[in-house]
Amino acid sequence: MKLGKPLAALMAGALAFGLAGCGSGGTTSTPTTTAAGTQTATASAPVTLTMSGWSLKTTPEFQTLVDAYKKVAPNVTITLKEYDPNTYEQLMLTDMTGGQAPDIITIKQAKYTWQWATGNALMDVSDVVAGLSKDVTGAASYAVNGKNYGVPYRQDSWLLFYNKDLFDAAGVAVPDGKWTWDTYASTAKDLTTKLAAAGKTALGTYEHSWQSTLQGFANAQKGDNTNPAGPYMTGNYTYMQPYYDRALDLQNSGAQVAYGDISTNKLTYQAQFGKQSTAMMLMGSWYIATLVSQQTSGDADKFTWGMAPAPQVDSSTVSTPVTFGDPTGMGINAKIDPSKLQAAKDFLAFVASEDAAKALAGIGITPSTSSDAVTAAVFATAGMPSDALSKTAYQVHKTMPENPSGADVMNISTVLGAAHTAIMSGSADATSELATASQKVKDKDW
Amino acid sequence: MSTTTPAPVRQTAHRAHKLRRRNTALGWSFIAPNFIGFAVITLVPIILMFYMAFTDWNALGTPHWTGLANFQRLARNSTFRAAVAQTFYYAIPHIILTGVIALALAILLNQKIRGVAFFRAAAFFPYITSIVAIAIVWNLLFSPKYGPVNQFLTWIGVAHPPGWTVSSTWAMPALIIVGTWREMGYYMILFLAGLQTIPRELYEAAKVDGASGWRRFLHITWPGLRPTTFFVTVMLAIQSFKVFDLIQVMTEGGPGTSTYVISFFIFQKSIGVSSNAPGTGEFGYASAASLILFFICLTFTILQFIVNQQSDLRKPRWTPVPLALGLVAFALAVASFASGYSLGLGYLGYLALFVVCFGFLMIHVRILRRRQQ
Repeated sequence: MKLGKPLAALMAGALAFGLAGCGSGGTTSTPTTTAAGTQTATASAPVTLTMSGWSLKTTPEFQTLVDAYKKVAPNVTITLKEYDPNTYEQLMLTDMTGGQAPDIITIKQAKYTWQWATGNALMDVSDVVAGLSKDVTGAASYAVNGKNYGVPYRQDSWLLFYNKDLFDAAGVAVPDGKWTWDTYASTAKDLTTKLAAAGKTALGTYEHSWQSTLQGFANAQKGDNTNPAGPYMTGNYTYMQPYYDRALDLQNSGAQVAYGDISTNKLTYQAQFGKQSTAMMLMGSWYIATLVSQQTSGDADKFTWGMAPAPQVDSSTVSTPVTFGDPTGMGINAKIDPSKLQAAKDFLAFVASEDAAKALAGIGITPSTSSDAVTAAVFATAGMPSDALSKTAYQVHKTMPENPSGADVMNISTVLGAAHTAIMSGSADATSELATASQKVKDKDW
Repeated sequence: MSTTTPAPVRQTAHRAHKLRRRNTALGWSFIAPNFIGFAVITLVPIILMFYMAFTDWNALGTPHWTGLANFQRLARNSTFRAAVAQTFYYAIPHIILTGVIALALAILLNQKIRGVAFFRAAAFFPYITSIVAIAIVWNLLFSPKYGPVNQFLTWIGVAHPPGWTVSSTWAMPALIIVGTWREMGYYMILFLAGLQTIPRELYEAAKVDGASGWRRFLHITWPGLRPTTFFVTVMLAIQSFKVFDLIQVMTEGGPGTSTYVISFFIFQKSIGVSSNAPGTGEFGYASAASLILFFICLTFTILQFIVNQQSDLRKPRWTPVPLALGLVAFALAVASFASGYSLGLGYLGYLALFVVCFGFLMIHVRILRRRQQ
């Protein structure tokens, strides 16, 4: 039995706790077909587009993109619609069901693409993606059933941040770019001992409580979490075991803060590294801009820091280290006014261009296009490290998606999230908990 | 004589009718603003939920009728079964503890003691404090290594103090403690209001007759509080089964799934935004779970109504007592079994809990009946 449109619209209204959905939710057709060639706005006609963003005051990337595009296409005016970052997907879903979503929808977390694309809220932009430069990474994260629904403008990836001053105080050699996980773990323990001997309270390393800090590396370095027949999708998580053994060992030996202390004391990673409570920390490249600005404002201590590639399983991958990270991208509202579609597609093509990349790099954002020019722009900012390894670590790596796109990804992610908290809190041992998680995913028990 | 007065009778009837109509209209005008708001933002979504529970609606697409598929999926889902068990595990001790402590506090603070207003305010304070602030403070207190709770326990000689919110065994007891601490003040105020309505003369007469404090409580306070107790248990039960905010801010359902309750499951299957439980947008499936929660709350409320009616001496006893008791016992037995099974606590602990809980419900029936004889 299919529900009529009016009742669907009423449900949408109910979700929005208002009747906003009734006016526009009852439209009779949904334009989902690719309109390349059929809808072409003339280049000079003024077009106004709306675009979603969050925390506009502290997240300048949206305005930067809009301003940069104004120089390329002066006839296009883009107005930003602000959302709360913590409930972004929830608010966007409400706006989508109520027909109030903006023309250009920023995809904050790639894992929501599947839900939005299969719900016909996003438009197929495969033609835009086909025209992107080869230097753009992350577009695959927005592919659903062979079609593309988003264009990445930003691609963060995880790195090892280290505090050079603390390494020097402990008399330990800084990372050389060839670290395996074993080197990382032994250095963390070594640092903890020697820092204590030097009268410092800092620990060797800090692992934040998120499941990404461990599972992200395990998935990426296993290498096939996007494969529908791979162990991530089919439920066989024994490959995470060594990562958990190592993290628990570091936690039990006191070389990193215990998970329980992070969650009960609500520790923030920014304060842990910024206030020199740890000599090392694995974190995404978004932290670069935060650290630079916090050192300038005084929220973080002033110390010399650097970046090194993420530790690897063995030496075979150190030349192109494997790490992970999800892109941030833009999609187009499936209900966009057809006369604005071409302008929206042109903007999407722009956000992944080198011009946009340089503009983003100028404000400390890691763009989806990597090149020497982009790296140079990022490192030109005052407060950035100047050593060669930091630059190499920033530019050279193979970044795997943290969350592949697929119907079951949200549920798999929830199952693994629960396993992570159970193991790291010491409530369950890793072997049995990973076996339970594997079984749940195999049985689609959710 | 009597046949000559039809006109005034008709007039009076007419006037009474008019008055009644005017009163009704006045009543409606008072209710309307609230009712319209309630209908638009609560009633309509609730009615839609009944439909959505039988569809595969995901908020964006068109819903398709899937019959009982959502409920079959819920029955197979180990996380949902655990969530049901854990909802009872939270609710039953929480109802008992909060009820008993609130009543004890109310009796204590109903006496003429110095600074009574201060103590009443102090007991009520947790209820009006922001839940987020509460979560941060209690998480700090419960911190396994540095928290004052465990430091105190170590000081008094507990060798291995519990891990509280970071232990899957102790997270739920920790939540029950915080929940009780937070809500006892509110129910204390309700009990205090109830205590004020009991005539002083009854206590004075009982004292003259030489009744002890306990007997005065049993034969005057407890029966006198019956309407309040009924209201408190109904509200407390509904609130406990629906618990969500406390869990979201304290543990986010963790560690593992040890503090997943039905509301949290619904949140996670719909709009969830927490890092460990991203919302999967399955609104049809979430509605089915909501419907089950609704029926759990409804069952408990109906049972309380039945028990309350049984103990009301003024009304004829029409309700079959064995049926009511049987239903309560059945609901509790299922809950005890499910909780015991999924939490691995063994049957003895739950048998004890079952007895205490069942006893709590029965006490006021017995007392009132004895008074009647």
